[in-house]
Amino acid sequence: MASTAPPKAGSARKAPVRKTMTGKAVTRAPRDVAHEGFLNHRRWRWAKAATILCVVVIAAYLLADPIPRHNGGTWLGYTLGTVGAGMIVWLSLLGVRKRVIGPKPFSLKGWTSAHVWLGLSLIVVGTLHTGFQLGWNVHTLAWALMMIVIGSGLWGISLYAALPERLSANRGELTQKQMLEAIRTLDRQLDTAAQPLGGDDAALVQISLEQCRIAGTLGQRLSGNYARDGNARALGAVQDRARGRPDNDPMQQIKGLLERKEAALAQARRHIAMKAQLELWLYVHVPVTMALLAALLAHIFSVFLYW
Amino acid sequence: MGFSIRQVAKRADGGDIVRTRSVAQAELSIGRGTDCDIQLADLAVMLRHARLLITAPGKVSVEAIGGVPVAVDGKFVTRADLVLADRPAVDIGPFRLTLAAGEDGGENGGGGGTVAVTAERVVAPSDAADAAQETSIFSLAGALPSKRSMAWAGALVVLIGLLLVPLLHFIGESRARIQAGLPRAMLAQAAQPAADSDGRLALPKPRPAATAGFAADEVWSTGTLSNAHASLSGNCGACHQKAFVSVTDGACQACHTPAALPDHAAPARMAAGRLPESGALAAAHSAFNLPQGRCTSCHKEHEGAATVMTVAANFCTDCHGGLKSRLGDTPVSDVPDWPKHPDFRATLVAAPSLTKPVFTRTALAGAREASGLIYPHALHQSSTNAVANMALKQRLPVAASGALPCNYCHKPDAAQQRFQPISMEANCSACHDLAFARDGGTIRTLPHGKPAQVAGIIRDFSFRQAFGTPTGMQQIAFDRRPPGIAAPIMPGNPAARASAAVVGVFTGKGLCTECHAITDTNSADITRRFAVAPVSLNDHYLPQGRFPHGKHKSHDGKTGEAACTACHTGVLKSKLAADVNIPGVASCRECHGAPAKSWLSSAAKAEASCDTCHAYHDGSVPAGHAAPARPAVVAAVRARQAPA
Repeated sequence: MASTAPPKAGSARKAPVRKTMTGKAVTRAPRDVAHEGFLNHRRWRWAKAATILCVVVIAAYLLADPIPRHNGGTWLGYTLGTVGAGMIVWLSLLGVRKRVIGPKPFSLKGWTSAHVWLGLSLIVVGTLHTGFQLGWNVHTLAWALMMIVIGSGLWGISLYAALPERLSANRGELTQKQMLEAIRTLDRQLDTAAQPLGGDDAALVQISLEQCRIAGTLGQRLSGNYARDGNARALGAVQDRARGRPDNDPMQQIKGLLERKEAALAQARRHIAMKAQLELWLYVHVPVTMALLAALLAHIFSVFLYW
Repeated sequence: MGFSIRQVAKRADGGDIVRTRSVAQAELSIGRGTDCDIQLADLAVMLRHARLLITAPGKVSVEAIGGVPVAVDGKFVTRADLVLADRPAVDIGPFRLTLAAGEDGGENGGGGGTVAVTAERVVAPSDAADAAQETSIFSLAGALPSKRSMAWAGALVVLIGLLLVPLLHFIGESRARIQAGLPRAMLAQAAQPAADSDGRLALPKPRPAATAGFAADEVWSTGTLSNAHASLSGNCGACHQKAFVSVTDGACQACHTPAALPDHAAPARMAAGRLPESGALAAAHSAFNLPQGRCTSCHKEHEGAATVMTVAANFCTDCHGGLKSRLGDTPVSDVPDWPKHPDFRATLVAAPSLTKPVFTRTALAGAREASGLIYPHALHQSSTNAVANMALKQRLPVAASGALPCNYCHKPDAAQQRFQPISMEANCSACHDLAFARDGGTIRTLPHGKPAQVAGIIRDFSFRQAFGTPTGMQQIAFDRRPPGIAAPIMPGNPAARASAAVVGVFTGKGLCTECHAITDTNSADITRRFAVAPVSLNDHYLPQGRFPHGKHKSHDGKTGEAACTACHTGVLKSKLAADVNIPGVASCRECHGAPAKSWLSSAAKAEASCDTCHAYHDGSVPAGHAAPARPAVVAAVRARQAPA
């Protein structure tokens, strides 16, 4: 703007302005040297807020002396219930917020930080709302679902603390696509290399080609146990058959290819196992949150209907 | 001599990108490595996979140097000689290298010309397929139902099972069916007076849980019902009658009729005496239509087995702490809390009467009672005097101290709460037997409580003596004389002696006057001449409270008489029946609300909540107030004293 503005009377005043413009086109925003994650966002702002909330709520719980006992129906119970229900609705709105991309007064990181810390404080708010009066009913169901959601969230955070580093170390420089491509290529090479083989030997290669599942079931993904998978079986059989054969025998080449494929599979599967863990908690967190919102609705509705 | 290299790559839109360059050397390296002359970017290709060597004009040899063979015309070889004229093809991984004589080679007749090498990917990388597969392989989308479908399923299960089904149950239930579902035994118990004759509420009987099966709206129950209401667990509508309306008093009183469970006081006075709420709580209660003073304000349900009777102690002091400031004419003193509980004001007999004794409430300090009876406790509690001697002779029970035990007269009632009424026949007549003569083998006694009869019997007995005392008949002297001194002989005629004998019975020592005040009316009719003052024995000095004597048989390590006199301290020294030997509130505070026995325990020695002693649902005019509440006890006294 300054450079395009027509020169005015006080051009002498403009000179230093121009001077500053000769440097970088855009001033860089000041950045923290150390990475500030969503947990310690803004110097633990939300951790402090959640701690204060918990202390206040616990103090109120200890100071209040309802008869015959603490529960959701006392003045403190209704207060905590209102606060807790509001928090649950707001916390679940993270799913909406993260889908809205663009400049917002609250950054997604700040929102996530608040989500995590206020979500943890909900353990105190929600549990003291119950007054530890639990039973087999819709009210305790809502509490239990809330605890499952919070617990799965804690699980997710703990995974995010450790797994990405290991994920990166395992992956090396490969992308997921490259991992798949390596396996595909080995498959093609196997296919090609198996052409001169006789029927029995070729059938073993077929097992590797057709009965190999890279990822498999949820149990396989998490346990990493693929001993019954096509490639492992094919490799075992080929190793038996190749024993004692000359080095230039095609089966030795097949064996080499199967071993390379097994190694490539192992790397991909380690990747898959970690990715499965990183995702699995969300398969609890998100659906249970929706069930929780439904239970919360039933809880509040029934309390006021049967007042 | 050299190579002319054409590398063909596919553009995203399907077109070809052809890069051409020439290399003036006889040998060409092929591989994935970037230092190779022909770089084939594919993992299936070794870093240095193969080498092309121009061996002669028009002839090229190919040699696999990476340990992985190359395919020449469909055959895997590690080395092959190729003739350019055949336009041979060499497959390395997904690439195909087509060799031909260069353009100059054609012109030169194939001698010393360049070799044209076209490298082209023939097996397309399966990117398109992988893009879809990548998600299913690397994310859980391939192993689990989608989060969205799981969320819908869970939410719908909850909404249908825990909201819709119970709601339909509530809407569909009729009042008649709810009423029919109420257990009859429970209804019958609720309709009976809940308070016993002492105004004490009987604890509700635990009831078995409902057996009528599971009702859909039970999932809305916030907690276990009290054991008194356990039979209602499948019958929510019995109490929750209208949607979004808090349980009303009407719902409670449908079973607990006001006749069976009277109000604490008249509703208008209750409303006037209540401490009004203020602030946020009042606003919230007003906004949600929860007025004060409802049954459920105090009796909280769904709080566990034994809780419906649990009411906060401050519930009483909310009103009674400053009742006089709101209800000026109340006869009840303000009680802010237990330590400030005022001393007792005993209900005492002010004027004994055979029919309508008058009771007054009086402060304990210096209180005197006019029961009409003459009875010195001290005399009867001595272990050394004639009373003790008499008790020994009559083989009456003797306390450890040697005196008559307290419970010789004060016999506990069935509830071990208070005591059976005292009667002359049961408690006095063992010594005060009213015998006046031995008649053969019979001891002649006077009837108690019938002064006209007594006068008649004595008069007639005296007349009989005018005709000579029969053998075996001997008058028993009531007054004691030293041995050897005979009773003085009555002067005058038989009529005068009979009158004198009657006067002697009513006014002399040793008989009526021992216990009763006698008035001489100077009536001409000797049987009506002497009037015995009426006696009304108090049976409940503190009728507003209840003191279970049976629970206090031992006190501060003492038992028996010592436990009694630990509180009733004045009894051993009391020489007059007018003495009021009721302990004050300070005596209660020695244990109730007193600090715990040890520093390890935080509980008081004995509890000190209002309902330790007081009842609530005992009617609007409790005993000892405007109207005496228990004429029944007085009636028992009257029956004993009624003239024949």
